[in-house]
Amino acid sequence: MIYPLYKIVETSFYKASFLNPTARVFVGFDNYRWLLNFKVFNPKYSYFVTALGKSLIWVAGSVLLKVIIGMAGALLLNSRFLVGRKVYRALVIVPWAIPWAMSSMMWAWTLNSQFGVVNSIMMKLNLIEKPITFLSDPTMAFVTTMVVDAWVGLPFMIIMFLSGLQSIPDTLYEAAIIDGANEVTSFFKITLPLMKPVILTVSLLSLVWTFNSFDIIWILTRGGPLRATETLPIAIYNTSFRLIRFGGIGKASAMTVVQVLVVTLISVFYIRTLEKGEIR
Amino acid sequence: MKMSTKKRFKKVTYQILALFLIAFLFLPIYQMLITALRPADLPWPSPAPLLPEKVTLSNFLLAFRLVPRLPRYLLNSFIYGIGVSLLSLLIAIPAGYSLARFRYILRKPLMIFVIYANMFAPIMLLVPIYVIMKSLGLIDTYISVILAGSIFTIPLSTWLMVSYMQTIPKDIEEAALIDGCSNYSVLTKIVMPLISPAIVAVFIYAFITGWSQQFILALVLIKTDQLMPITQGLYQFFSRSSVRWNELMAAILISTLIPVFLFLAVQRYIIKGLTSGSLKE
Repeated sequence: MIYPLYKIVETSFYKASFLNPTARVFVGFDNYRWLLNFKVFNPKYSYFVTALGKSLIWVAGSVLLKVIIGMAGALLLNSRFLVGRKVYRALVIVPWAIPWAMSSMMWAWTLNSQFGVVNSIMMKLNLIEKPITFLSDPTMAFVTTMVVDAWVGLPFMIIMFLSGLQSIPDTLYEAAIIDGANEVTSFFKITLPLMKPVILTVSLLSLVWTFNSFDIIWILTRGGPLRATETLPIAIYNTSFRLIRFGGIGKASAMTVVQVLVVTLISVFYIRTLEKGEIR
Repeated sequence: MKMSTKKRFKKVTYQILALFLIAFLFLPIYQMLITALRPADLPWPSPAPLLPEKVTLSNFLLAFRLVPRLPRYLLNSFIYGIGVSLLSLLIAIPAGYSLARFRYILRKPLMIFVIYANMFAPIMLLVPIYVIMKSLGLIDTYISVILAGSIFTIPLSTWLMVSYMQTIPKDIEEAALIDGCSNYSVLTKIVMPLISPAIVAVFIYAFITGWSQQFILALVLIKTDQLMPITQGLYQFFSRSSVRWNELMAAILISTLIPVFLFLAVQRYIIKGLTSGSLKE
């Protein structure tokens, strides 16, 4: 793993292409300059900055969805008012087991504007009059891929939060009720503070996974329509493998270096929180 | 009285909310099932029906007829899965043993590195992997995907091994060492039987990953149709003009059954491994 990593950094200083990776020229920081200056589809920001920006918004949205719905789901499945908790808990895991590529294909069909059940259900409930084109409208596609990615990560979130919730002793809640606290206060005063380490670790893990997410966007939209969903991983792939004449691996490597730096930064926080949890 | 109506109201709301959650999570699975069971020659009305008008199993047959290489793709996925899991075990068992049992200066940095390495996704190492495989002449071989795939399964595999080994007592091993066993035979004769649940968990985790999660690696490393895993093979159902959705969904159903069941069997271990941060000395 170290060797490929070193290779990435090394290649990012060369001008090279897949057609002939051995014939390369040292270009110093040219590839990094290219990252900042190459404007093609967007007059204001460079190709790379656009992709990075999209990635950040996409990741933030997706992780936020995962954490919020995941927390709500975990609270729900942990509540003693819910009949059949065990059944629900078992069901929640199932989507996790489906390979991402397959679930993305399933989603592509489910969201199909003419024949998918999502549109069908909404039309039958008279929520919409015309089918929504989930994947061919740029903004819609961006949001849709985000939601599908959240769907993929949700079971993991729910299970993790659930195991965190189960480790909180009931006596704390009972004491809170005696002291006259209602459920909202006990959530903010007991659940949230005690769950903080779990939420932190799981969110950081999810941030990295989401930031690296490729399969889902690739299968649903290939970065389209009009490059609306071209996040950093998709841009890296496109630069290195699809637009060979235009890009070349040197440029893609420079992009990857940024990707690695972001992931490393999150990892540092992640390892710190893990260590803190152990010392306690 | 007031309390009990409130409780009942709560019960009903929670039930409804839980059903909504499950509905959201099962939406694509539901769509897959109704599509796979609906006759392929039946035209799709718009908006689509929520239940198939007729139920048939012919799509499963049609899928194999439409894409005759389907069994081959499944076999390829199987080979990738087995390859990745064997290689992962081969490295994770000794690595885990060393990290769990021996004390040396580099131990902690190595543990941290294992966690860090687990953060890497194929996309980040795609370019060098391609270049390395190309220079080794391994493009379009099973070995390339297995080698590249293992890079990403070994960290978590090692981690699972370490956290499992730390839960078993050292006494037996120490006794064996005193009796004159070598470290190697302690590992093979004593430790490995004890950690067999972890071995199974790692095997299945790596198998599933190799089977179908590493979409992008095969996308880049495999160009020949004959060597493609099932995930790429499914693209055969997409033609320029249309997608054979009924048959595609039937094929997806077939090809996800194995990983889904395997995953459900070992999810407990994987969850435990992911939650237990055992950086402690």
